[in-house]
Amino acid sequence: MFDISLQGPQHRLCNGASRRDFLRVGGLAALGLSLPGLLRTTAAAAESPSLPRPKPTAKSVILIYLGGGLSHHDTFDLKPDAPEEIRGKYKPIPTSVPGLMVGELLPQVARVMDKVCLVRSGSHENDHHETATNWVLSGRFGSAFGDYPSMGAVVAHETGFTGLLPPYVATPKNPSFSWELGKSAWLGGRYESFKAGDPNQPNYHVRDLSVDQPLSQKTLERRKSLLAAVDSLAGRVKGDDQMATYDEFQRHAAEMVLSTEAQSAFDMNREPAEMRDRYGRTDFGQGCLLARRLIERGVKFVTVTNGGWDHHKKIWNGLEKRVPVFDQCYSALISDMHERGLLNDTLVLVMGEFGRTPKINKDAGRDHWGRAGSLLFAGAGVRGGKVVGATDKEGAFVTDRPVRPADVAFTVFNALGINPRKQLITPEGRPVEILDQGGRIDELYSA
Amino acid sequence: MRLLKPRNYGTHLFAICLALLAALSLPAVAESTAERTPGAQDAASSAVPSFRQDVVPIFTRFGCNAGSCHGKLAGQNGFKLSLRGYAPELDYDSLTAELGSRRIDFADPEASLLIAKPLGKVPHEGGKRFADDSRAAKVLLEWVKARAPGAEAADADPTSLEIGGPGDQTAKIGQKVQLVVNAHYPDGRVRDVTWLTQFFSNDASTVSVTPDGVATALRPGATDIRAHFQGLVQVVTFTIPYDNVIDPALYSQRNNFIDEHVMAKLAALRLAPSELCDDATFIRRASVDTIGALPTPDEIRAFLADTRTDKRARLIDDLLGRPQFIDYWTQQLADLLQNRKERDHDVRGAKGVRAFHSWLRGKVAANRPWDEIARDVITATGDVVHNPQVGYYVTTVGEKHAEESDVVDSVAQAFLGTRVGCARCHNHPLEKYTQDDYYHFAAFFSEMTMRRQSAQVTTTELVPSSDREQQQQKRIADLEAALATVQLSDDKDAPRKLAEATKRLEDARKELTRMQLEVGVTQPRTGRRMSPAPLDRSPMHFEPGQDPRVPLAAWITDSKNPAFSGAMVNRLWKHFMGVGLVEPVDDLRSSNPPSNPALWNALNNAFVSHHFDLREMMRVILTSRSYQLSSTTLAENEQDHGFYSHYFVRRLPAEVMADAIASATGVPDPYAGYPLGVRATQLPDPAVDSYFLTIFGRPERVTACACERGTEVTLPQLLYLNNGDDLQAKLKSPDCKLTAMLKQTGDDDELIDRLFRLTVSRPPADAQRAAVKKELAAGDAREDVYRDLLWALINSKEFTFNH
Repeated sequence: MFDISLQGPQHRLCNGASRRDFLRVGGLAALGLSLPGLLRTTAAAAESPSLPRPKPTAKSVILIYLGGGLSHHDTFDLKPDAPEEIRGKYKPIPTSVPGLMVGELLPQVARVMDKVCLVRSGSHENDHHETATNWVLSGRFGSAFGDYPSMGAVVAHETGFTGLLPPYVATPKNPSFSWELGKSAWLGGRYESFKAGDPNQPNYHVRDLSVDQPLSQKTLERRKSLLAAVDSLAGRVKGDDQMATYDEFQRHAAEMVLSTEAQSAFDMNREPAEMRDRYGRTDFGQGCLLARRLIERGVKFVTVTNGGWDHHKKIWNGLEKRVPVFDQCYSALISDMHERGLLNDTLVLVMGEFGRTPKINKDAGRDHWGRAGSLLFAGAGVRGGKVVGATDKEGAFVTDRPVRPADVAFTVFNALGINPRKQLITPEGRPVEILDQGGRIDELYSA
Repeated sequence: MRLLKPRNYGTHLFAICLALLAALSLPAVAESTAERTPGAQDAASSAVPSFRQDVVPIFTRFGCNAGSCHGKLAGQNGFKLSLRGYAPELDYDSLTAELGSRRIDFADPEASLLIAKPLGKVPHEGGKRFADDSRAAKVLLEWVKARAPGAEAADADPTSLEIGGPGDQTAKIGQKVQLVVNAHYPDGRVRDVTWLTQFFSNDASTVSVTPDGVATALRPGATDIRAHFQGLVQVVTFTIPYDNVIDPALYSQRNNFIDEHVMAKLAALRLAPSELCDDATFIRRASVDTIGALPTPDEIRAFLADTRTDKRARLIDDLLGRPQFIDYWTQQLADLLQNRKERDHDVRGAKGVRAFHSWLRGKVAANRPWDEIARDVITATGDVVHNPQVGYYVTTVGEKHAEESDVVDSVAQAFLGTRVGCARCHNHPLEKYTQDDYYHFAAFFSEMTMRRQSAQVTTTELVPSSDREQQQQKRIADLEAALATVQLSDDKDAPRKLAEATKRLEDARKELTRMQLEVGVTQPRTGRRMSPAPLDRSPMHFEPGQDPRVPLAAWITDSKNPAFSGAMVNRLWKHFMGVGLVEPVDDLRSSNPPSNPALWNALNNAFVSHHFDLREMMRVILTSRSYQLSSTTLAENEQDHGFYSHYFVRRLPAEVMADAIASATGVPDPYAGYPLGVRATQLPDPAVDSYFLTIFGRPERVTACACERGTEVTLPQLLYLNNGDDLQAKLKSPDCKLTAMLKQTGDDDELIDRLFRLTVSRPPADAQRAAVKKELAAGDAREDVYRDLLWALINSKEFTFNH
């Protein structure tokens, strides 16, 4: 029960309380959603006069989410001089950046650190999976009246469908509506992530997108014309948001189903076997590869979730199972994207909801620790080979340049050219800034 | 509107409730300069400002004690105030006792941090809150100069607020209204507190309001402006009519009292009512809403052919008596009562979930009134086999103590439509509920003990007394037995032993009574013991040893408790009308009044006078003309989303749509653990695996909140309908009704007609018939064309929406 898996309601979090606790808050949260989108049509918004719309540096974002909370002590923020019960068992190894050391379980990542900016000062004060997850994914601390929309949902809201594919996709694991993947909250279901499933499955396809027996062109055309002919509700009811959404998604669904381009985006068999091997034949590895395929095709925001980092017990076993998988797929993603030139305009972000406690507990594990954690940024102008921020000698508290969830989200929105202070209107007509706090992490970009 | 810029986040879950308020509108750094009409005694003009009545309200008015600032549990930068001033004594202590004399400096009053900080004279993260010559600054200075007198008993809080002026009003777009707020005190004093009042708009896009209380009408519609002062809330309703010219005769057609009130509101807003819907639409709409199923082609034929003038009323009676009605409304109530298998330790298993479902089904079938069902559930006692409603506590309390579990929130939300969760950690920001109220309410459930047993051993049982009382009762039984033994003894010490045994027994009985009298839970913040008390703080009498839930259930279901009837009336209204009179549907509070108060009162009176008869209330709603209006919008009402000028369309709920597709195709969905043919609206257990029900928003029943049900339209839903293997398989199945129909008849007109009736519940229009025939004439296989027609009908909004 100490293996947290953030991939579905069937899983349980370590504190044994989660989903229900979440819903106690999140349930209230959806308060606006039970309104049939009353005012959503007016969700137009005002640009904040105090902050002009930023110039975009990134076309897309890939968020690699390490659900449960990565142990920074054992990976990116080693404390070799600390007592054994803090420093743990792993030795630092050198990286492609002189002077920068990472944990010995990360030999491949070590070789791409020159393209990565390591932030060692991620920090907040919440040690609760759901609350912290929603916080870091949205950049705003949720309230009893509702959690805030995640970054991906905001991006979907701000950009809409720009091509055939949905703007916000999450992988792996289908079809659970798991909150970890980044909820749309009051923005509504139409901005939920599109669940792409597990691309490591042998006969992987996106449910209901590609089917066992594709329909003939003739059938599709006939269906289209019959549908247009029979629906007498169209045009009779004006001003209904739910209906407008239905029309919009009906069109997108039909286009996606028809489009070989959309289908092929998810066709992992189009990747050479060597490329698939390079990322690793795991759901995490293939998820990263799919993310690359999707952003190549114009998807704005891809979340690759990987659960199981909540190592309260026997952390060495857990890390030795998980870190090598991450080592392979993350290094493959960075180097592959670099080789393809994609890293120039894609921001790749790695984080979990918090770091872990300095002291190894009686069960040989580490517990939740929001006050310090490591994050990785790469691409879209981020300066590689750099370290931002620092923690104290025990890795417990940030001593330099704290980076708050709002700062991370601000940086992401800023990179995509979305004004983080833009006011959106909730279904109840309440004006809410995308972010009420935070600022761009300038150190990511400076020399 | 500028927000405070705290750089520090709320650090605990505790703080989250207030983030809304923080986000919503911390009052701007501005203060009214408008002179107020005197006639009201005012602290600024009186000798010494009162801490409780002047200083604390300043903290609230200017956001100092907001949840995002010093009001959060941890305080802000070392200075903590009680959230929105709910504990003035604590605030006084933090100001005067902590940090020596820095916060209040009698030697140099203007240097007091209390004054220098909000004036921005020393660095203040919250910035400058008010100007040097402002009234707030003067009051604070006066108070310090008077050597900071503390809260005194004579400083009674106001008992009510009144928004002066014309009250509820009709305004033109662009019109500005200065609101004036008077506080009434127990001694009869009335004081103008406008400058200390916080103003909020319930819909700022319709009517905005400044921190000074200037309301501006922005667009047509209606909304409420709330005034908050010292924990009191008062609202004023603004109606801004649309720019329409409507024939008054349109408002005169009425079936019952509902229409009277709906039409009055529409007339006030100058929104036109749509026409009455046609018969085909009505039978579909009423069937979907009432029994959760489409009408059959035969029912449609009969209804359309019926020429009696009261045929709609007859249909309504018929629907309310159907077995599917029982299925559908059992499911609705089971959602509300969270009937599910508690994840971790539900000893009942799926069997217990089914048993509770059957129990509820029996109540719905027998048309038991809502107050009776509520009492049965709230006072549930005994073993889960004979009293399946005990399952309510298995899921809501689980293995926790009542006050730590979900039961308090659940009972309040399910039966009273009230959200008390905020008050678990601090006083409710929008309601009168204090943290004490929460724990007083939780205390009603403190006497329950769940004897959990594995189903293999024996049944789990809910015992309505605490563990220690039960131990004491056992001890008394032992002492009684001992006494009996002594009584029988002819020992020479017998009299002495008898006296001792009697004394011991009496002591034990006294101890039990003492235990029973101190029923309650501990309030975690104050450590004080909270005895059971209802949310309205009305006194309640208990007999020692009585299950406190019995008087609680009586209080909750009392016909004089407006929240009990209101919660159900609003749910029923929303179910049939699409939008609650109060939204969110289960968030009744004085600061969130109904959109049509006259209708609200009339409906509640009707529910009470019909003795909480659910079917009767549905009949009243269904027979109203308002329910029967067309969904087709007019230019004069298409902007209306909340005043019932037309029927508000909505996507079919998950279970209803699953059943509708199954009935239209004739291919049932398999549900693991249930015989083939069991419909989605009959499923007792929300955990039954179904991709369809999941993506279409079936609630998991983890909370009592109506918001758990997903009503959104999403892309996976459309992909499912457009291209999904499940639907394709149904269309191609040999069991598909279409397959048999193709064999039965070669008459295209008849086939087209039947497919339309099966799906969109009406005959095809001529143009639609022609469109299908044109496809048939193209020469492709007939069955392929018809399969595509069935696909198109199922994918049409006319099918997937109730309209």
